[in-house]
Amino acid sequence: MAGLSIDGARKSFGDTEVLKGVSIDVAEGEFAVIVGPSGCGKSTLLRAVAGLEALGAGRIVIGSRDVTDLQPSDRGIAMVFQSYALYPHLTVYENMAFGLRIAKTGKAEIAEAVRRAAEILNIEALLDRKPAALSGGQRQRVAIGRAIVRQPQIFLFDEPLSNLDADLRVRMRYEFASLHRTLGTTTLYVTHDQVEAMTLADRIIVLRDGQVEQIGSPRDLYERPATLFVAQFLGTPRMNILSATATVNGRATLANGREIALPPLAGALEPGTPVSIGIRPEDIAIGAASGALPFTIAFIERLGGLATVHLQGAGGGEPIACQLRDDGSLREGDTVPAFLPADRLHLFDADGRALARRPAE
Amino acid sequence: MMLRRWIITLLAALVALVTIAPLLWMLSVSFMAPGEASGFPPPLFPANPGLDNYRTLFGSFGIGRFLANSLLVSTLATGLALLFTVPAGYAFAKLRFRGRDATFRLLVAALVVPGQIGMLPLFLELKAMGLVNSYAGALVPWLAGIFGIFLVRQYCLSIPDEMLEAARIDGASEGQILRRIVLPILTPIVVTLALFVFLSSWNDFMWPLIILADQDLYTLPVALAAMSRQHVQDNELMMAGAVVTTLPVLILFLSLQRFYLSGLLAGSVKG
Repeated sequence: MAGLSIDGARKSFGDTEVLKGVSIDVAEGEFAVIVGPSGCGKSTLLRAVAGLEALGAGRIVIGSRDVTDLQPSDRGIAMVFQSYALYPHLTVYENMAFGLRIAKTGKAEIAEAVRRAAEILNIEALLDRKPAALSGGQRQRVAIGRAIVRQPQIFLFDEPLSNLDADLRVRMRYEFASLHRTLGTTTLYVTHDQVEAMTLADRIIVLRDGQVEQIGSPRDLYERPATLFVAQFLGTPRMNILSATATVNGRATLANGREIALPPLAGALEPGTPVSIGIRPEDIAIGAASGALPFTIAFIERLGGLATVHLQGAGGGEPIACQLRDDGSLREGDTVPAFLPADRLHLFDADGRALARRPAE
Repeated sequence: MMLRRWIITLLAALVALVTIAPLLWMLSVSFMAPGEASGFPPPLFPANPGLDNYRTLFGSFGIGRFLANSLLVSTLATGLALLFTVPAGYAFAKLRFRGRDATFRLLVAALVVPGQIGMLPLFLELKAMGLVNSYAGALVPWLAGIFGIFLVRQYCLSIPDEMLEAARIDGASEGQILRRIVLPILTPIVVTLALFVFLSSWNDFMWPLIILADQDLYTLPVALAAMSRQHVQDNELMMAGAVVTTLPVLILFLSLQRFYLSGLLAGSVKG
């Protein structure tokens, strides 16, 4: 086992710069998830760690070894691909044994390694089958088995769940988590699915346009997004964003002219400064309270236990979504008071960067 | 419905019969006595079937030698063609190197030039290299057929890159990837290509005629043509020669038909 350190990674394809100086440290045994929209460079970064893409600049260190110029097989990594990439003409056993056979490992040792991996993944019964005779979930397991057999220092996963149906994805997500607990191997996992990132990661790395947007624990990123982008990328339904203008006494005016109280900030805002106010749907409270604003219910999405209520601010302005326990009492078209608690608000400046709060006494 | 199917089957059988009739008559005539086939109307079956023609062919004419020559040349041509075209097709499809696409476009463009146009320059070139009147010279045109490279490349395009990358991570060298991952997947197209090359080199007449001067080196088609000049009247002997020429490739073709068809189909679906 070893940690992973990426330092100033740059990569261009032709004139397009895909990685613009990415630096990431993954601690030994950590499960790090790289998340970002498509085209943000996350897969390229993973492939660079695997050695499948050469970096234009920067270094990659695994453990204490600089692997930047090493061949993929010499880096001590194993990778699970989105398409599983199993060898179609070989049986499950041969697929898992392939790397060890290339390395001229002894027969008995190979058999033992494959048996152990198969046991962990519960695929002992499939060892004689060809990939074509397996279901999607089984293929995924074999692909993971092939990675485990190599006993890598680092596991690399490239969107491993995106080819599976929703039900299986949830199950495999759980299995990834327990597998990581069992093996404890340092893992770098790429996905565009923020739910996977939130549920699996010890630490999330949000990548945008080839640059690190924010790194932190899922809780951190959710509670204290550093940018508007991160704030909106994590969480379903996504965070509501209202544009407003700062006034005096730590208050701001919304687009529809209503005033609301802001959380205490580290530095006072000049009156007239444009700000974006973010609030998570579950942080909005419906019901009479001092400072509550009147909203009209435009639309209700009932999910069973929870409902997402889309509110339209009285007097115009942007609609906001609010998530709450559904007791069936709300009706579309009703006007309700909704309260946006100041301590649950996230403030961003005109460039989309979070405004620092005043530290709590 | 039933009637329709019968009619279609009957029509297909008729077309098949028209196609195969000359071959069957060739076989029939080869067992006839000298001059028997020249009567009018020509008989369908020999009056006294015998192996005299074959005895003459393998005896005084020594066709066994030419048969061996042809087998040697075609086998070598097939082996060498596969040795060069399969890795080349794979490289053009899957390896990244400078000038790859430009080179490939040039090759495909060269495909439209008829082979006959290249024969004279090729002959002069081989003459300068001292390869005229040798099997080395006869084999040169088969070494790297553009069509073969094209065929293998198109098929290779359907192999996912991730599979090759997985093999690279597993520690396989490029050679090992080709041998242990790519070749097994390419089996149908390789068999198809082998068959194509074997058939074409077996039936090739022009090039061996140009390049081989020594009669001992003649391949079957060239030898048969030489024989027909002397024995232009001996239809029965000529037919026996044609049977000897056709039979080996016919057997090869039929025995590999399963691979051959699956190769073409797989190529068309995935390509």
